[in-house]
Amino acid sequence: MNRSEHKLCSFPKSLVRNQDLFAPAPFNAAESEKTGASNYSYWKSTLRTFFKSKAVVALVVLVCGIILMSFLYPVFSSVDPTKVSTDRQDWNLRPSLTHLFGTDGLGRDIFARAWYGCRNSFLLAFCIALSDVGIGMIMGALWGYNKKLDPIMIEIYNIMTNVPSTVYLVLLAYIMNTSYLTLFISMASRGWIVEARFFRNRILSIRDSEYNIASQCLGTPMRRIATRNIIPHIINLIIMEAALCIPYSIGSEVFLGFVGVGMPVDAITLGNMVNHGRGSFTLHPYQMLLPAAVLCIITVAFYVIGNKFADASDPRNHV
Amino acid sequence: MKKNLKQAEAASQQVLSPEEAAEKEALRAYESEILTQSAPHHAGPCLLSARDVTVKFNLRGKELTAIRGASLDVYEGETLAIVGESGSGKSVFTKTFVGMLDKNGRIDGGQLNFHGEDMAKYTKEAEWLKVRGKKIAMVFQDPMTSLNPVRTIGEQIAEVIMWHFGKTHDEAKAETIELLRKVGIHDPEARYKQYPGEFSGGMRQRVVIAVAIACRPEILICDEPTTALDVTVQAQVLDLIKSLQKEYKMSVVFITHDLGVVANVADWVAVMYAGKIVEYGTVHEIFKAAEHPYTKALLRSLPQLGTKGHDLYSIQGTPPSLFKEIKGDAFAPRNADAMKIDFEEEPPIFPVTDTHWARTWLLSPQAEVYRAELIKREAERMDNAVPEAPFNYNGAEPLLQVRDLSVQFKLSGKTFKAVDNVSFDIYKGETLSLVGESGSGKTTIGRAIMRIYTNNVSGKVTFKGDRITGKLSRHEKKKLHMEMQMIFQDPMASLNERAKVDYIISEGLYNYHLFENEEDRVAKVERILEEVGLTSEFVSRFPHEFSGGQRQRIGIARSLIMNPDFLVADEPISALDVSIRAQVINLLNKMKKERSLTYLFIAHDLSAVRFISDHIAVIHKGHLVELAPCEELFAHPLHPYTKALLSAVPHPDPDVERNKKLLHYDPAMHDYSTDKPVWVEITPGHFVYGNDAEIRAYRRELEL
Amino acid sequence: MAKYILKRIVRSLITVSIVFFVVFMPLRFMPLNGYFPDEMIKETDEATRMTYLRNLGLLDHPLIQLGRFVKNLFRGDLGRSITVYAKVPIATLLVEKIPVTAFLGFWSMLLGIVAGLAMGLMMVRFKDKLGDTLGNGYIMIVRAVPSLIYLFFIQIWVSKWFNLPLVYYDYKPLSWILPIVSLSLSSVAWYALWLRRFMVDEENQDYVKFATVKGLSKKAVLKKHVFRNAIIPLSAYLPSDLLNIISGSLVIETLYAIPGTGGLLTTAIKEQDNPLVQVLVLMYAVVSIFGVFFGDLLLAFVDPRIKLTED
Repeated sequence: MNRSEHKLCSFPKSLVRNQDLFAPAPFNAAESEKTGASNYSYWKSTLRTFFKSKAVVALVVLVCGIILMSFLYPVFSSVDPTKVSTDRQDWNLRPSLTHLFGTDGLGRDIFARAWYGCRNSFLLAFCIALSDVGIGMIMGALWGYNKKLDPIMIEIYNIMTNVPSTVYLVLLAYIMNTSYLTLFISMASRGWIVEARFFRNRILSIRDSEYNIASQCLGTPMRRIATRNIIPHIINLIIMEAALCIPYSIGSEVFLGFVGVGMPVDAITLGNMVNHGRGSFTLHPYQMLLPAAVLCIITVAFYVIGNKFADASDPRNHV
Repeated sequence: MKKNLKQAEAASQQVLSPEEAAEKEALRAYESEILTQSAPHHAGPCLLSARDVTVKFNLRGKELTAIRGASLDVYEGETLAIVGESGSGKSVFTKTFVGMLDKNGRIDGGQLNFHGEDMAKYTKEAEWLKVRGKKIAMVFQDPMTSLNPVRTIGEQIAEVIMWHFGKTHDEAKAETIELLRKVGIHDPEARYKQYPGEFSGGMRQRVVIAVAIACRPEILICDEPTTALDVTVQAQVLDLIKSLQKEYKMSVVFITHDLGVVANVADWVAVMYAGKIVEYGTVHEIFKAAEHPYTKALLRSLPQLGTKGHDLYSIQGTPPSLFKEIKGDAFAPRNADAMKIDFEEEPPIFPVTDTHWARTWLLSPQAEVYRAELIKREAERMDNAVPEAPFNYNGAEPLLQVRDLSVQFKLSGKTFKAVDNVSFDIYKGETLSLVGESGSGKTTIGRAIMRIYTNNVSGKVTFKGDRITGKLSRHEKKKLHMEMQMIFQDPMASLNERAKVDYIISEGLYNYHLFENEEDRVAKVERILEEVGLTSEFVSRFPHEFSGGQRQRIGIARSLIMNPDFLVADEPISALDVSIRAQVINLLNKMKKERSLTYLFIAHDLSAVRFISDHIAVIHKGHLVELAPCEELFAHPLHPYTKALLSAVPHPDPDVERNKKLLHYDPAMHDYSTDKPVWVEITPGHFVYGNDAEIRAYRRELEL
Repeated sequence: MAKYILKRIVRSLITVSIVFFVVFMPLRFMPLNGYFPDEMIKETDEATRMTYLRNLGLLDHPLIQLGRFVKNLFRGDLGRSITVYAKVPIATLLVEKIPVTAFLGFWSMLLGIVAGLAMGLMMVRFKDKLGDTLGNGYIMIVRAVPSLIYLFFIQIWVSKWFNLPLVYYDYKPLSWILPIVSLSLSSVAWYALWLRRFMVDEENQDYVKFATVKGLSKKAVLKKHVFRNAIIPLSAYLPSDLLNIISGSLVIETLYAIPGTGGLLTTAIKEQDNPLVQVLVLMYAVVSIFGVFFGDLLLAFVDPRIKLTED
C-alpha cells in the first residue's frame, strides 16, 4: 500500500507543529561523537568505593594513628619499657593513671611495652610483607614470562604448600637460633612462593592480553611493558596482598612464641607480651588482655582494610 | 546543579492542565490505535502486549534509562525480530517479559499484558514461576555458558519436564531423548549421559533450544542465539528454530543485531534505538521500504550494498548516552538529514501502512516536501557509483611471502598444529582476506607473521625479500616494527585501560624515539587523531570513556603513527556494532589509499570481506583450502568448504535469504588415506587444496 | 584413569623424597645438644659424649645418615626419643599418639565441613542481611585474630560457662568437646568463606540465569545448580583443611594437654629432642602431601570437566 493512500483520519490536530521546524537542521559532527560512556576513572572509583563505608574510614584512621603513635612514643615518653623494678610494690600493678595498662611481674610498664611491642611487631610485619610481595611479584613476573621456570617453580610451590605452614615455620625457627632475623627468614622464605604464584597467574593473563600484544608489535621494551602495562594493573593486588600479610605475620609470631621457638625472651613484641601474659592470666588477666586487645585491633584492622580494598578495586563493584 | 535537576523533575510531574491532559490522552489513543491496527494481518491473536515499558538501572550512583517507553505486541505463531545495536535496550526489553532484569534494574512504568495479567506489576517469585519456562521460554546468546558444566545434558532437560509437569524421572527421560532427537542430536540415548563439555558450540545451542521448548512455551525468546556461532553452524541453528516454530506454532521473539539473520527468520521486525522502538513492520516493509532514518541508514551501511572502491554509506558518531535525558529524536544528532524539529521534540508514531509504522517526524504530513527531496537525493546517490576495477596482478610485486608456515601449540601435554603448512603471497597494495571459522588458525597466522609467536613457528616468511622468521637482530626488529603493524579484534581489550590515549598512541613513537621534541610528538598525535576522525581533546582521557568504534579508531591510530607499509587487521570490525562497522571499513580503505598500505584482513564475515578484499584465502582447521581473487572466489568456488561457507552467508534481503540453499561440509568426505592432498594453482591466481582426484574434478568443474 | 593416578602417585613420592631431603639435611647442622639427655650433659665428659654421638651415627656424613634413616624407616624403626621420653622408640610413641590426634582431627574435620557448609548456605540465603553480616564477622575474627588468642580464651571462659573440663581426659568424653570444637573453628570459617564466595560466583553465571528462566524456583536453582557446582571447587580445598587441622592441633593439643602428636611436637621442640622433631615434621609433611594427593583425586572424580583419560 502506498503511503499517500493510507488513511490519516486519526491524525490528531495536536501533532501539527510550526512548519518552520520541518526544515533541515545543520549537522554537527562533534555532537554526534558525544559518547555514552561516563567519565569513569578506575582509581577514583576504587577510592570512592573504598571510602564509602564509614567503618573503613575509621579503621584507616585508627591504623594510621597506631602506627604513628608506636613510632613516636619513644619521642613523647621517657618511660623505659625494659626498666625492671626491684621494689615489690611495683610488681603486677593493676591499670591506673600512672601505669595505664598496669605493670608486669617485674614491674615493667605494660603501656610502654605495648607501644614498643607494636613498633617492633610492625617493623617485622612490614619487612615480611615487603619481601613476600616484592620477591613474590618479581618471581611471579619471571615465572609468568619464562615457561622454562615452570617445573622448578611448581615443585617449590608444591613442597612449600604441601607442608603445613606452621610445621614449616616451627622447623625453621627450631633449626636457627631465634632472633628478629631468623623469624624474618623463616616467614619470608615461605611467603614469597604463594605470592609468586598469585602474581604469575595475573601476569600471565596480562601478558596474553591484546593490549600487551599490541605493545609487543610496537616493539615496546620490557622495562616500559613492566611500568606501563603490568604494574598499573597489579598495583591494587600488591596493596591488598601487603595489607593481608600483616595480620598473618603477626599471628605467626604469636604462634611461634607459643610453641617455644619465637622471639628471644627479652625482645619486646606483641607476641611475646601475649605469651608471657598467658602464664599469669589467672592472677593478673590484664597483663594478657590489654596487649592481646591491641594486637587484635591491629590484625583485624589490616585484615578488613585488605579485604575491603580488594573489593573496592574490583571494577565489578564500582556501582 | 542537582537542585535544578530536581526542580525540573518536579515540574515535569506537576499536574497537567485539563487541556494538556486531554491532548495527552488523545495522543495515547492515537498511538494505541496505530499499534493495534496491524492485528488483522497477523497469523494469530495477540499474546503479549507491552505498553510504554520504561526500565531504569542504577549504575555507579547514576540512573540510566535503558528502555524509554517501548510498546510492542507479540502475536501467536509468528516470528518477531527485534533489531538494534548494543545498548539499544533490545535485550533488556525482552528480559522484562520473564522478570529477569538484573538486580540494579527495575520496571519504572508501563504495562506487560499477558493472559489478562499485567506482568509489570509482578513482585513475587511465585507469579513469575507460572510464566517462566512454561509459557515464555528464553534462549541465551552464548551456548558455552548457558548449560551447567557439571551436570549431564539429559539431567538438565529432564529437570524442566519433571519440574513443570511433575513427571517421573523415567517418563522425563523418554521425553528428553525424544526432544534431543527433534533438535537434531544424533544418538540421543548416549548423548543424554554426556556433559556439556563434550558438545560443540552448535550442539550445545541445540540442547539449550531443547530445554527451552521442553514445556511447549507459547513464546520463545531467542536472545542473539547464533551470534557466538560460526556462520555455517548459525545457518543450521536458524533452520532448526524456524522448523520448531512451525511445528509447535510458537511465537518466536528473535533479538539480534544481524540484519541477515533478521531477513532469514523474521515475519515481523521491530527496530530499536536508544531504548525505544523506532520502526515496526513486516520483514519486507522494513527491508524494502524503511521509513525511519535510522533503519534506512542501517540498511544502507551494510557492506553488501556498497560499491567496491567507494566509501560505504556510514552512520556518523556514536549512540547517545542513556544517563542523560534525551531531547527530541535520539537519532537526530547522528542524522545528517535531520530536521529542526527532530532536536526539539520527541516524534510520535506515524503510520505508513496498516502493518507498518515509524517514529519519525519525516512521516508527518508537514514534512512531505522535505521527504520527497530526500528520496530524490538518495536515488541520485545510488545511480552514479561505478565499481573500481579489480586489482591488477600483472607486474605486481609480492610484499609478503609465506611458505610452509606451521604453528604448533602444546595443550595439556599434547601438541597440535594450529596452522599446517600454509603458503601464500600478499602483493604490494592489495588486501588479502583470510576467512575461516573460530579455531581455524586464521588469527594464529596473523600473529606468526607479526612475530608474536616465534618459538613454535616453522616455515619461512619473507617481507620485502628479507626473511623475518627466526632470530632477528635488534635493527631488523626495529625495521619490522616500523613497517608492519597490527589492528586487533576487541576494542575493549586492545587498549591499556590504565593509560591515557596520549600514551597509547605515542607508544610506538617513544619506543624508537620517532619525534624531535615534545611539541613534535604532540603534533604527530593530534594529526593522526584527526585522520581517524577524533578530536585532539581526547588525548588526556582514558580508554573507558570511549565507545567501541572510537576505541577501535584509537587502535588504528596507534598502529598508523608508525607509518607502516603493511597492516595485519585481525577481525577489526567483528566486535563492533553494525552502525559503526561502516565507519571503520571506510577508515581502513581511506588509509589504504592515502598511505598505499597493504592489508592482511582476518575475518569470518564474508560480506564485509567481499567489499574490501582483492584476494580471499579460505582456511579450515589450519589448512588453507582455497585462495582466489575476490570475484573469482564468489563466482567459482571449488573446495566444498568454500561452497558451504558461501551458501551460509546471510543476506540482508528476505527474498534471497528465504530461498537460499545451505550446503553442508563434512571433512570426512575427503579420502586422503592414499592420495595425499597438495596446494595447487588450478588457474592463474586461483589455488585450491586437494588430492589428484579432487583436482581433476575441480578442473572439470571450471571448464563447464 | 589408572594412568593419571599412577602419575600423581609418582609425583607425590617425588615431593615426599625432596621434603625428606630438605627437612633432614638442615637438622644435621643443629647443635648436638639436642641429642643428650639432660643428666648426661651435666655428668659426662667430652670423650663419652663423642662416643655416644658416634654410636648414634651422628658423626657420619649427613647423606649416610639419611640413607640409614630411610633404611630403618622401612623396618619400622624411627629411632629413639632422647629428652622427652628418654630412650623410648619413636615408633612406639607414634602408635600410641597418632590415634588420639587422628580421632580429634577426624571429628573436628567432620564438624568443620557440616557447620561450615551450613554457615555458608545461611550466608548466601541471607546475603547482605543479618545472617551474612554475622557470618562475615565470625570469619573475620577467626581469620584475622591469631588463633592462639581466641583458643586460649575459649579454653578459659567457655569451659567455665558450660562447666566443661579444662583439660583432656581420655576417659571423659565431656572433655573432648572443647578441643574438637576449637579445632574445627577455623575450618568452619574456611568452608563458609569459600562456599559463599563460590556460590556467589556461580550465581552470576549464565547457566544459573538460564536455569531460572527455565522456570525453576530460586530454591531449586540454588540447590540443583549453584550449591552443587560450588561444592566442586570446594572439594579441592579439603586438603588445605587438613593442613589447617594439623596446624591447629599443635596449639590445641598443647593447650588441653592432649596426648597426641601435635602436643608431642611442641614438647619435643621445647625440650630440644632432635630425633623426635625430625620424625614428627616428616610425618606431618607426608600426611599433608598425600592429603593433597587424595584431594586432587577427589576433585577429578567429582568434576566432569577434568578428564582423567586425557594426558
